[in-house]
Amino acid sequence: MVKRGSALLGLALAIGVVLSGCAVAPPGLVVTGRGSTTFDNTITEIKAADRGKPITFGGTQVDGSTADSRSWLGSPVVVNFWYAGCPPCRAEAPDLAALYDQFSPTGVKFVGINVRDQADTAAAFEATFGIKYQSILDVGTGAVQLAFAGQVAPNAVPTTIVLDRQGRVAARIIGKIPASSILRTLIQDTVNESSTP
Amino acid sequence: MSVDTSSSRPVDTSRPDGHVDGGDAPQNGRLGPLGWLRWGWRQLTSMRTALMLLLLLALGAVPGSLFPQRSADPNGVTQMIARDPGAGRVLEFFQLFNVYTSPWFSAIYLLLFVSLIGCVIPRIRHHAKALTAKPPVTPSNLARLPAYQARELLGHDVQDVLGELHRDLRRQRYRVARYTDHQGRPSISAERGYLRETGNLLFHIALIGVLLTVAIGAGFKYTGQRVVVEGQTFVNSRLAFDSFDPGRFVTDASLPPFSLSLQSLKVSYVQNNRNAIGMVSDYTAHVTVTNKGGGVSRSTIKVNQPLSVDGNDIYLLGNGYAPQITVKNPAGKVVFTDTVPFLPQDANLTSLGVIKIPDGLAKQIGLLGFLYPSEVNSTSGASFSNYPALINPVVSLNVYTGDLGLNSGIPTSAYALDTSKLTQIAGPSTPVHSLTLTPGKSVELPNGLGSVQLGAIPRFASFEIAHDPTQYPMFGFAGLVLAALAAALYVPRRRVWIRAEPKPGGVVRLEYAALARGDDPRLDAALTQLSNFAHQKGTS
Repeated sequence: MVKRGSALLGLALAIGVVLSGCAVAPPGLVVTGRGSTTFDNTITEIKAADRGKPITFGGTQVDGSTADSRSWLGSPVVVNFWYAGCPPCRAEAPDLAALYDQFSPTGVKFVGINVRDQADTAAAFEATFGIKYQSILDVGTGAVQLAFAGQVAPNAVPTTIVLDRQGRVAARIIGKIPASSILRTLIQDTVNESSTP
Repeated sequence: MSVDTSSSRPVDTSRPDGHVDGGDAPQNGRLGPLGWLRWGWRQLTSMRTALMLLLLLALGAVPGSLFPQRSADPNGVTQMIARDPGAGRVLEFFQLFNVYTSPWFSAIYLLLFVSLIGCVIPRIRHHAKALTAKPPVTPSNLARLPAYQARELLGHDVQDVLGELHRDLRRQRYRVARYTDHQGRPSISAERGYLRETGNLLFHIALIGVLLTVAIGAGFKYTGQRVVVEGQTFVNSRLAFDSFDPGRFVTDASLPPFSLSLQSLKVSYVQNNRNAIGMVSDYTAHVTVTNKGGGVSRSTIKVNQPLSVDGNDIYLLGNGYAPQITVKNPAGKVVFTDTVPFLPQDANLTSLGVIKIPDGLAKQIGLLGFLYPSEVNSTSGASFSNYPALINPVVSLNVYTGDLGLNSGIPTSAYALDTSKLTQIAGPSTPVHSLTLTPGKSVELPNGLGSVQLGAIPRFASFEIAHDPTQYPMFGFAGLVLAALAAALYVPRRRVWIRAEPKPGGVVRLEYAALARGDDPRLDAALTQLSNFAHQKGTS
């Protein structure tokens, strides 16, 4: 009898533990802060043989024109995920502007993916930092973020991804670019790859 | 007899004469390190310890529901520490904000785990032996057993009768053995109810399964929160979350790619009950889910009716208003336009919002906004909202200029305005009144900085996206716990013996006896059934 009682007690306790572990937060006015997490600067470079499938993306840009990544095949593409109110994005913007000036004449494409802002806010940011390349506005549809979701995803804002000439992810920097030279090397490595796949 | 006083041994007068104490007694309590280890293991794997640990585990889980947990409610933790830093330090010291991952909580469940395994393994070995062993030899005096009957049959072969009983016992799922004692009397020994111990062991194994599922499964879980304004889209990717809490083994590939667009959030309020006017009667989020392949489906999410997408459950957590704010420079060019989520502060959705305009103006501007969905003025002149729907929406803005602190590269909260490098130019404690806006209205910013306009006021929803692969194993183990417990409690374990003794004149005397292992109210009935069975066979 003692054993039977204690087994029941044990079960009750075990179920109690399980239940208390999965309490669902009550619906209400719960909102957690955006962008308050610190991300480490993680750099990933992928050898040509190990790269995934080409990524195809597009959308409406800040100036109202439409972008389609398929028209950039054959050129390395630098993709930067950002929004105006994001402090690390602001901190790395001058580096990106300078790298654009350096690599654009060699045929490297630059495109921003704005994940939060409307066109006017994004345009004001571009004016502040002298950004000369266009950004796709992705807050409405999320189509570009969806296209990039997967194995080597942009995990934070900012994230900078270098696509090779076939549109495959060749390198990724999560968080603020630690130094301009690091992104420069990643772009240069991709530029140096044979132009024939 | 006389006491030998020359002996150095102490004399115990309470003991009988000639009693020898001391020196020759076995040495007690001298345990070597191995002995201590063995002792500790025995203590740990005892049933008593396991129960104590289970109780401790339940008790240890209590603070996790009393205090806000970092994993579930990081803002609650921050607020609690801010309210009472002293108590916060004490709670922090005992890891009461991270109960489920704290070393002391882990210690309890790991010890419980070891204790259960250490308890179960020897019992499995023992039970396996019992399962393969023959039922015990028939006792010589059956009449001494708790249940006993004796009946006589006429004109039958002893072996025939025993054969029939043997088959009947087998039909009743008894394990049966035949013995013959030294007087040559044949007997049947039968036992049933091994399932009872099997159930008991399975119960313990299932409990271990539950613990393992909790411990390992937690590594593959993740939860993320995201605020989405009507018309906007959220993508299930780490960059899109406002906050994200991954388990240890969560990788990029763990998040199935899909996007979720919030078409509209419909909120209905109680209107026909005077005592509950303004209470929410229903929230419904109308959403569109797009898979990476391009498949689109429409769906709704309600409170406690999450949407399941690719193994993710999407919960509707909260809601509020996101006024459309547009800021123009003095030349009339738009430098900022966005729907900015304002965080609700009370049941009537008086909401607080922060708008940061970092670019395009002579100076950076920060706006601290209050939204009153149904604004009324109190007798003291202060505004408040008396209804949560947008009946008379008013936004009042305090204006700050200077450095928003966004250029340092250090991530900051979008919902807080760091005023340490800002100067207030409109609002309380300045000569300029707060800017008051109604939908469609535009007002000039002080100092000729430009203008600000209020547009539409859409709603936002905050969603939680949770992936918990432990649901199904947990369901399975919990089911097994219950089923095994039922078997362990309700399957009777009993032994039955039947001995046949040929008597003169063709009479067979049959003795039936049974022994219950545990409680068994049906013991006598089982014997009567057997003897009736033999009698019917005998008389037919």
